[in-house]
Amino acid sequence: MSFFLQLLVAGIATGALYALMAMGFVLVYRATRVVNFAIGEFLLVGGYLTYTLNLVLPLPWAMVLTLPLAFAFGLLVERGFVRPLLGRNVVAVIMATIGLALALDGATQLAWGPDQKYLEGQLPVLTLALGELILPSRSVWSLLLALPAALALVYALKRSRYGVLVRAVAESEVAALAMKIPAPRIVALVWGLSAALAAVGGALLAGLSGVGPHLIAMGLMVFPVAILGGMDSVGGALLAGMLVGVAESLSRGYLEALVPGITEATPFLIVLLVLLARPYGLFGEREIERV
Amino acid sequence: MPGKKLTRRQLLKTGAATAAVLAAPRWVRAQPRPVKLAVLLPLTGPFAFAGAAALEAFQDAVGLVNDELGGIAGRPLELIVEDTGYDVAKGTAAFNRVVNRERPDELLFVYGDSTGLSKALAPEITRLGLPYTATSYSGELADPERYPTIYVFGPTYQDMMEALLREIAARKPGARIALVYSNSEFGRDPIPYVKRRAAALELEIVAEEVTPLVLTDAGPVVLKLQRARADYVLTQGYVATAEPALLKAAREFGFRATFMGTYYSASNALIQRAGPAADGFLATYHNAYWYEVDVPGIRRARAYRRQKGRPNKPMTTYYVGAFFVGLTVAEAMRRAAAANRLSREGVLEALGNLADYDAFGLIHSLRFVRHRLPYTKLYRADARARRYVPYSDWIQLA
Repeated sequence: MSFFLQLLVAGIATGALYALMAMGFVLVYRATRVVNFAIGEFLLVGGYLTYTLNLVLPLPWAMVLTLPLAFAFGLLVERGFVRPLLGRNVVAVIMATIGLALALDGATQLAWGPDQKYLEGQLPVLTLALGELILPSRSVWSLLLALPAALALVYALKRSRYGVLVRAVAESEVAALAMKIPAPRIVALVWGLSAALAAVGGALLAGLSGVGPHLIAMGLMVFPVAILGGMDSVGGALLAGMLVGVAESLSRGYLEALVPGITEATPFLIVLLVLLARPYGLFGEREIERV
Repeated sequence: MPGKKLTRRQLLKTGAATAAVLAAPRWVRAQPRPVKLAVLLPLTGPFAFAGAAALEAFQDAVGLVNDELGGIAGRPLELIVEDTGYDVAKGTAAFNRVVNRERPDELLFVYGDSTGLSKALAPEITRLGLPYTATSYSGELADPERYPTIYVFGPTYQDMMEALLREIAARKPGARIALVYSNSEFGRDPIPYVKRRAAALELEIVAEEVTPLVLTDAGPVVLKLQRARADYVLTQGYVATAEPALLKAAREFGFRATFMGTYYSASNALIQRAGPAADGFLATYHNAYWYEVDVPGIRRARAYRRQKGRPNKPMTTYYVGAFFVGLTVAEAMRRAAAANRLSREGVLEALGNLADYDAFGLIHSLRFVRHRLPYTKLYRADARARRYVPYSDWIQLA
């Protein structure tokens, strides 16, 4: 039983990290209907920014100061890649994000070099031990960062003025502009937030396995999580992240011995099964088009 | 310009230019044809760090051969570089581009990338009679009957595992072993051998974990290893991408097994990334570390880089490995030229007769046994010193 509980807790903590990475992705999709294929690179940039600041600052401060820099990076991306395509077909923006991903792959290698990098120091140790159950410090940090961020975002989207504006822009950018809603500024804000959230995820992952292009591969987990949650639901991303994390953990614990390699496929199998029953994901808004 | 006299300076310039133009064809004809070494490296993608280090090494090795060793019997050694992006399709395209473009009597050696790419190219390499080695130490490639032109410039992954298994058997007879490897050609390569040898050495394999190349969370893996009460954990198929996560998680969960790995775990990046959790990690490594300045090959590389004004930074195991291959391939070419057989066949013949050469101490011996070099050392991670330190003397594996 303790083995099961330990796997469950480890899965929830990993899921929180997945959720943290996926929320920024979902936020952009919700506001702009753009699938950001450069989300893995956003993580990478976050990791490299943390690394750079960590050269002169302790890790916690480096992570904190990465947030505004990552936010600025998100604004830059919006200004350079997204705004010029405002009002165009959303497919054009999606294609632009694919180009952005490739450009960022090259740019990060040029800027920081290809060497394997690592973060110095660690976040304050918060390991929890409840009897035989151990919650490692990194897991505690994932939960501490992901849960409040998700709850704050859900609250902000539902209750705050900015949340209403985001929803208005999401509904119809043209109508929002006609209503004198500063749609470009709202979209910029969303991209900035998305980059900042991804940066936190990137920094946490970098603390575990160093900084390098392998972070992009880790970022790919965002896609099953976001699709499962429903693409436009921040709360859905949180729950889907947890679900995927737990499923992976239990699969590793119980199925891997029977079917080696199954754990890698588990998130995608779950997505497939859920989409068969619920094509808009677990919490996605059902869209009805009248023709 | 009518009415303007030609000055002496203009006359001299015109004369020099005319002489250069007239002399050029003769000069070009007098240039010996280069001998070419093509390297297919992952200069982009997840293993760009290894590809970039290898590229620097090949540039240094080729420069050193041309500047200080007189090239290949007076002919310049030329380096051809292609990026594979650590992708089999892209690597295959790069290989085809090179072999179709270059003359067979000039392109005398190809250095490839990854176990997957090398296995995919092996039949074509054999058909072309092209001397070849790679970043891979796959046992499948060291098969002289099947692939007579492919050499592994080090012990195979099987050999490396053999060294680790012997160490375990000596330390704790009947020990419980766990295998953790990536779901890739690279990861799976030595596993069947390990299972056979562990049984022969009366070591019990109590867990087997197949993971992605990078781990977001190593907790569940470590929990299973802990549950299986493994004494030793053998890792394979990572390049310091998953080992730090495993080591950190083991420390967090109080799992006290000894972790071990092969050549690609022997990079100091593993210690830097895992921090104190890396202490005691045991890895096989068969070249020399950049800080082992008593090794003449390391001193030579350092001196050459200093002389050329190249950045004075600590170089990685990927650099040293590629530098060693560069020097050795050049030596084989030089010997082939000395025997008047500077061709692909001549280079292959020379490779088989390099037993008296040790690439300035960068390897124990270049006596190939079934197309691989079955010698390695064990190194232990010293977290405080942030580097690997020698743990054993040379271990002969065949």
